[in-house]
Amino acid sequence: MTGELSRRTLLAGVGAATLSTAVTGCATGGVTNREAVHLGPGATGPVTGSITVWSWDSAATALTRLARKFQARHPGARIHVVDIGYDNADDKITVGLRADTGLADVVTVDGARLPAFIGNFPHGLHDLTPLVRPYARDFDRAALRTATSEQGRIHALPWDIGPLAVFYRTDLFRRSGVDPASLRTWDDYVRAGIAVKAKTGAKLLVLDPSEDSFFPCLMQQQGQRHFKDGGKVALATPEAVRALELIKAIGDHGLIHWERGWDGLVTANKEGKVATMPTAAWWSGTLTTEMPELKGKFGVVPLPAFRPGGVRTSNQGGSTLCITGQSKNPRLAWAFIRFLLTDKDNQVSMLQREGLFPAYLPALQDPYLDKPQPYYGGQRVWKVFTDLAPHIPPVEYTDDDAKAADITQQALTGTVLRGHDPRRQLRAAARQLAGATGREIVAG
Amino acid sequence: MSTPTETTRRGHRGRIAPVRLGRWLIRLGLLLGGVLSLIPFLWMAIAATHRTGDLFHSPPPLLPGGELLHNLERLQDSVGFGRVMLNSLGVAVVHTFLSSLLSAMCGYGLAKFRFRGRGVLLGVVLGTMMIPLQVLLVPLFQMMASLGWVNTYQAVIIPFLANSFGILLMRQGFLDFPDELLESARIDGSGELRTFYRVVLPCVRPQLGALVIFTFMTQWNSFIWPLLMLNTEDKYTVPIALNTLTGLSHVDYSGLMLGSLLATLPLLLVFLLFQRQFVAGLLGGALKG
Amino acid sequence: MAVQSPTASAVRGTGRTRERADRRGRPRFAHWIFAGPAAVLFVVFFAYPLGASFYQSFTSTENGRTAWVGLDQYARMFQDPSFLDSMVNTGIILIVQVPLMIALALILAVLLNQSWLRFRGTWRTVYFLPAVTTLVAYAVVFQVLLKTDGGLVNQIAGALGLSPVDWLNDPTWARTSLIGSMTWRWAGYNAVILLAGLQSIGREQHEAAALDGAGTVTTYTKVIFPQLRPVLLFCVITSTIGTLQLFDENYTLTRGGPDDATLTPVLYLYKVGFQQMDFGYAAAIAWVVVAVIAVISFLQFRFFGRERER
Repeated sequence: MTGELSRRTLLAGVGAATLSTAVTGCATGGVTNREAVHLGPGATGPVTGSITVWSWDSAATALTRLARKFQARHPGARIHVVDIGYDNADDKITVGLRADTGLADVVTVDGARLPAFIGNFPHGLHDLTPLVRPYARDFDRAALRTATSEQGRIHALPWDIGPLAVFYRTDLFRRSGVDPASLRTWDDYVRAGIAVKAKTGAKLLVLDPSEDSFFPCLMQQQGQRHFKDGGKVALATPEAVRALELIKAIGDHGLIHWERGWDGLVTANKEGKVATMPTAAWWSGTLTTEMPELKGKFGVVPLPAFRPGGVRTSNQGGSTLCITGQSKNPRLAWAFIRFLLTDKDNQVSMLQREGLFPAYLPALQDPYLDKPQPYYGGQRVWKVFTDLAPHIPPVEYTDDDAKAADITQQALTGTVLRGHDPRRQLRAAARQLAGATGREIVAG
Repeated sequence: MSTPTETTRRGHRGRIAPVRLGRWLIRLGLLLGGVLSLIPFLWMAIAATHRTGDLFHSPPPLLPGGELLHNLERLQDSVGFGRVMLNSLGVAVVHTFLSSLLSAMCGYGLAKFRFRGRGVLLGVVLGTMMIPLQVLLVPLFQMMASLGWVNTYQAVIIPFLANSFGILLMRQGFLDFPDELLESARIDGSGELRTFYRVVLPCVRPQLGALVIFTFMTQWNSFIWPLLMLNTEDKYTVPIALNTLTGLSHVDYSGLMLGSLLATLPLLLVFLLFQRQFVAGLLGGALKG
Repeated sequence: MAVQSPTASAVRGTGRTRERADRRGRPRFAHWIFAGPAAVLFVVFFAYPLGASFYQSFTSTENGRTAWVGLDQYARMFQDPSFLDSMVNTGIILIVQVPLMIALALILAVLLNQSWLRFRGTWRTVYFLPAVTTLVAYAVVFQVLLKTDGGLVNQIAGALGLSPVDWLNDPTWARTSLIGSMTWRWAGYNAVILLAGLQSIGREQHEAAALDGAGTVTTYTKVIFPQLRPVLLFCVITSTIGTLQLFDENYTLTRGGPDDATLTPVLYLYKVGFQQMDFGYAAAIAWVVVAVIAVISFLQFRFFGRERER
């Protein structure tokens, strides 16, 4: 009886394995079929049907608002916007892409995550190259780069970007006698920080020890992120070392306030623990919403450059809109995306009402961006970002960015918190990343 | 602890001073532990009654504020919390009922019957307890999609109805059930199902109570699976709805804490109701197991 | 139960025995009515995912194309510093947190078992509450409490003259915070279970021991606890399996950081699968976790369970 049992169990096991293999095979086969589906340029005709759009937070609010406008213009079109939350949105999208089913027609994807999706699921998101081509020059270069695959195909349309600048406390600077315009290079910045700490006790900036974004931004300011030259590991380049040495210097002077999470960031700013926030344009929304009592105490200047006359901005964040390969109505999806993102008025409205800084450059010419902003004591803050946006260095992203981010984080804390030598840490990090991904390291 | 001997020794006047002191110390210790257990809930109550912006101070406010109604309104506006609570309730109740029934039946089958494949089934039950859920998500999702069950409640409820822990718990309870009672019921001509329902089940009510609490708790707080399966906001359950309050550049802390506090209430209710059974049930199930 | 004439039931009984029942008088396929539904559900909903993930662990996906790589993914694990860290962390948590929590739960249970204690139900509820908190609330609350600058715990430490501790940003302290918060969450839950066990043992044992002249401590260690062994085993095993599969607490509290100090295998496999999209590797890690759990559970049963039979 036992023998029969085990034989049966064995058969069951083999059956299950065979079945699962067969099904898995079918799944992959289905994806290849999708290669044939693509949108031709100039898809004209009445725009009808219904689509679902996934987004989160204020982006979802913007979409819902503009969807109504779109539906008014195109009776017969129904747009369903669903807020899937930000934290686990990627999980939902990943599972949907992997299972090749269950996704909405349009999904919002973080610019930084997009290359991973495109790389791992080459047929998961529609190839929009012929449709985007007429608009290519109107979009921020760096953002468009994230939407472009290694083969040069464009799989998304950039929505908003996060150009970096320095938000500084005007009152703390005044008290310390620091002129914000003098922060031309990072050395000036550190010097200013020392002065501010001496006079007011406030540190320079906040860093998150578990999910830092400043280090990669400093690298992007110099033209690279974790990879360059065709996907080679760039963690040990002179640019990377320079960036890490800068952070180490700031830390060595006791000017870093370590705080975990978004609420830590907000609290530190609310309480004047730090005098500056080198961060992206969307931080403005947080300031005006969570710190109304600090109105008039903030100003914005471009990032200090690494060398006099160098690039004075970088990018953090920004999202894109993609049409999933599973969509049953890609034509309506494209019509909606185009309506949202290539219309100046719509883009400006999203800046005004939801704080989303457009990746669509023509929108930046709107007079709204030239207006004095009362929260900043009348400074034309948006103009600062408008002037900076075209200079954001486009960088390479690969599908190994998540791994790289983890390793980079460890190099950061190892150097700044535990005092190891930056160059050595980065070389080790580069080796670790190269080993884990099978990539080469950039020479020199 | 009082024993007959001790009482006699000390006389009938009550406890002597050192014992009384000892008891007060114990009470104090329990109180301290209780406060520690409750501190997070106190914070949730505080956070739920302030505006999010006001929470970002160090030290954070230590007394409740007056924004409760305002926050409730906002919670209802932003995620339709009332509807969401009902969704969660519906899903959890149905799942708990079906799962408990299933676990009871399977546990009974495993405990009281000898059959080929019993060992295999037991092995499967034990084995599935050891698998991390994360690795099953994608294939399970594919299955749901091929059944056309994406964005349905069946997909949320059915796949996890067979619950290893529940089956094992019930099995322990049934192992103790005296076979003679079963025999006499059978001899009296009662069918298997009726025997189960009339004779056996009432005796394992404690274990059932414990099972109900565990299952309800787990299903109520279940997050990743409903997150993957539910795609329209009016179908969301509580954890998923609260998840949308965490945004990219903005977290609605007061709403989140209020929602979490409200979400704890049904669980508390279930525990209070089934408490007595729970305690007896676990002891019955685990003690002999 | 219906009243029947002995002859009738005997006849009916015999008929059943001959036709559909086995030797013990039970209908032959009754067990399938009971065990069937669950068995079917297991097969339908778990067989494919298990098979798929097992198959996946032998594959690797590059640019959307999946290829068979044999044991490569498994071999990779043992050279992967993050994976090794996660195993070490789990070991640390297992050795420190589980005994600590069970000991605490035991003490609590003993205290709650005092015969003179009133409002036992209220105490039980209060101590059980942490286990029913939503995870997001748990995380937010502890982050507020443990914030380096201005968190409640550091404020109290400051008031007592101690220097503030970097609870969530320093690797060792982060582990401590994780262990502490896990204990907070589950000690009461286990205490309630152990309390039930204690209450079933009953007063007589205490009295008998006292009559024999045993002090409080001896009563507990020599008489009560040995009888509590099955319940204790239950708590130990469920806590162990929970720790070996730890994901919820460290994901929400620290995301596995800083520097992988609070990384556990299941959290790692989630990162590998969902963030790095390396599903083959994630599957391999999962199956190694299963193997470890199986071995440790088996050992625990062997080591602790056997005594019970004596």
